[in-house]
Amino acid sequence: MSVVKVQSVSKWFPRRDGESLHVLQNIDLDVPEKAIVAIVGASGCGKSTLLNIIAGLVTPDRGCVFLNGVKASAFEDWRSLTYMFQEDRLLPWRTATQNVAFGLEAAGVARPERRERVTETLALVGLSGFADAYPHELSGGMRSRVALARSLVTRPQILLMDEPFSKLDPSIRTQMHDEVLRIKELMGMTIVFVTHDVEEAVVLADKVVVLNPRPGRVRETQEIRLPYPRDPLSPDVAEQARLLRRSL
Amino acid sequence: MSAVPVSPAAPVDDGRPKPVPGAARDRRLKLAALRLALLVALLAIWQVASLGAPPFVLPSPMRVWEAWTTLVASPTFWKDLGVTFERIVTGFALAAIFGVVVGLVLGASKTLGEFFEPVLTLITTVSSAIWAIFALIWFGLSNWTTIFVVFMTAMPLILTTVWQGTRTVNADFVELARTFRMSQAQVLTKIYLPTILPLFFSSARLAFGFGARVSLVAETLGASSGVGVRLKQAADLLQTDQVFAWTLTLVALMLALEALVLKPLEARLFRWKKQAEAS
Repeated sequence: MSVVKVQSVSKWFPRRDGESLHVLQNIDLDVPEKAIVAIVGASGCGKSTLLNIIAGLVTPDRGCVFLNGVKASAFEDWRSLTYMFQEDRLLPWRTATQNVAFGLEAAGVARPERRERVTETLALVGLSGFADAYPHELSGGMRSRVALARSLVTRPQILLMDEPFSKLDPSIRTQMHDEVLRIKELMGMTIVFVTHDVEEAVVLADKVVVLNPRPGRVRETQEIRLPYPRDPLSPDVAEQARLLRRSL
Repeated sequence: MSAVPVSPAAPVDDGRPKPVPGAARDRRLKLAALRLALLVALLAIWQVASLGAPPFVLPSPMRVWEAWTTLVASPTFWKDLGVTFERIVTGFALAAIFGVVVGLVLGASKTLGEFFEPVLTLITTVSSAIWAIFALIWFGLSNWTTIFVVFMTAMPLILTTVWQGTRTVNADFVELARTFRMSQAQVLTKIYLPTILPLFFSSARLAFGFGARVSLVAETLGASSGVGVRLKQAADLLQTDQVFAWTLTLVALMLALEALVLKPLEARLFRWKKQAEAS
């Protein structure tokens, strides 16, 4: 069964001149359980809007979204879904531990259990030694790990990622890809990953969906059958990326 | 940027130069010595000046010291001080509560904000002395006259800062809270309040100082006890040494408040800020 199912979704945004901007046109998307699906497209193709629609932050004008087979409007278990943004969005007045705990505070998890799960999750992303560090004391890669831990601490079933590593150095980005794949193997969540980087999509995803802009529509869906771990510099990855880039 | 940690013990190298402990201590000692020299110089100038003036114009430091020791020993000293302090704190606390709550509400609703903006301007343009006269008419010789004046002086400052502060709240953080399905109350306490706190703190400190100063003016007009009343009595009787003694008491109290309460509180609340901003 698909964990996320997007069915002929269209979205318009009102513009200042009274016209409306057609952002998404008839999008169909199927994310099977425990899959990693990457949505690739140039900027302005509506990929973030699509993610916001899946997250229930934006309502589509046409079509609908099903989460675990339940229509989004009737879906209640929103806390089984977390969202990782392009910026790390760490609260500067909170330590790493407190930032990770943020996800559990909303869910009303009791304090002792909260502490235990935060410690566990920080260890999972390799940041045990930095539990009490403030964001400004951490490097970009570490901040990214804290943000990842914050979206994992609620043990989500669905993880939505909006270009979360695009601002990192290439070598650190590769490390983060390995981390995501390792943790996904461990926790078994389903991931929808938005990126403009075709190589990143090929390295991570089981399935890549290419969006074209104005209005955003699905141009191509490509299964990636290469075995993990995938070396971003290998010829297989390069070939897949080349094929996908043609439809961008 | 430092490497991703392999061992938990890896130090955080942020690339900032580390201060040399010895140099910092030397500089502090030097500053303390300079401050002491400044104090001695001021006392010397005061002493010399007092020689050429009658005591009711400028009493000598020694005479003020004697007046101060008698003052502290007098039975009403602590009572007057306590009564004034209580009025300042009450007025300030009411101003802080009202300012934060209304500031947040006005910040949250654009319509309300635009509607009430002129009222705030009106309140800020009216001088504290005028508020004191109104207070005297409305409340007579009671604690509320002083409390009202402190409130009307401190409240607009705090309210304006909190209101402006709501505009500096990062929309990204609010969106983050929404993805975790946080309630409106949680967004307010976990995102809005921490964002506003540094601004609130600096404005509250300013507002407390203003409030404390105008409280004396209000007391001279509309109270039968308190520091302001004693100051006025001393001035009427040309007891200039008494005026000096009260003044020194107030200055010392404000300095103690700053060093013993505000500075440690600030350091504790805002230790998350970068060192560069603090120094």
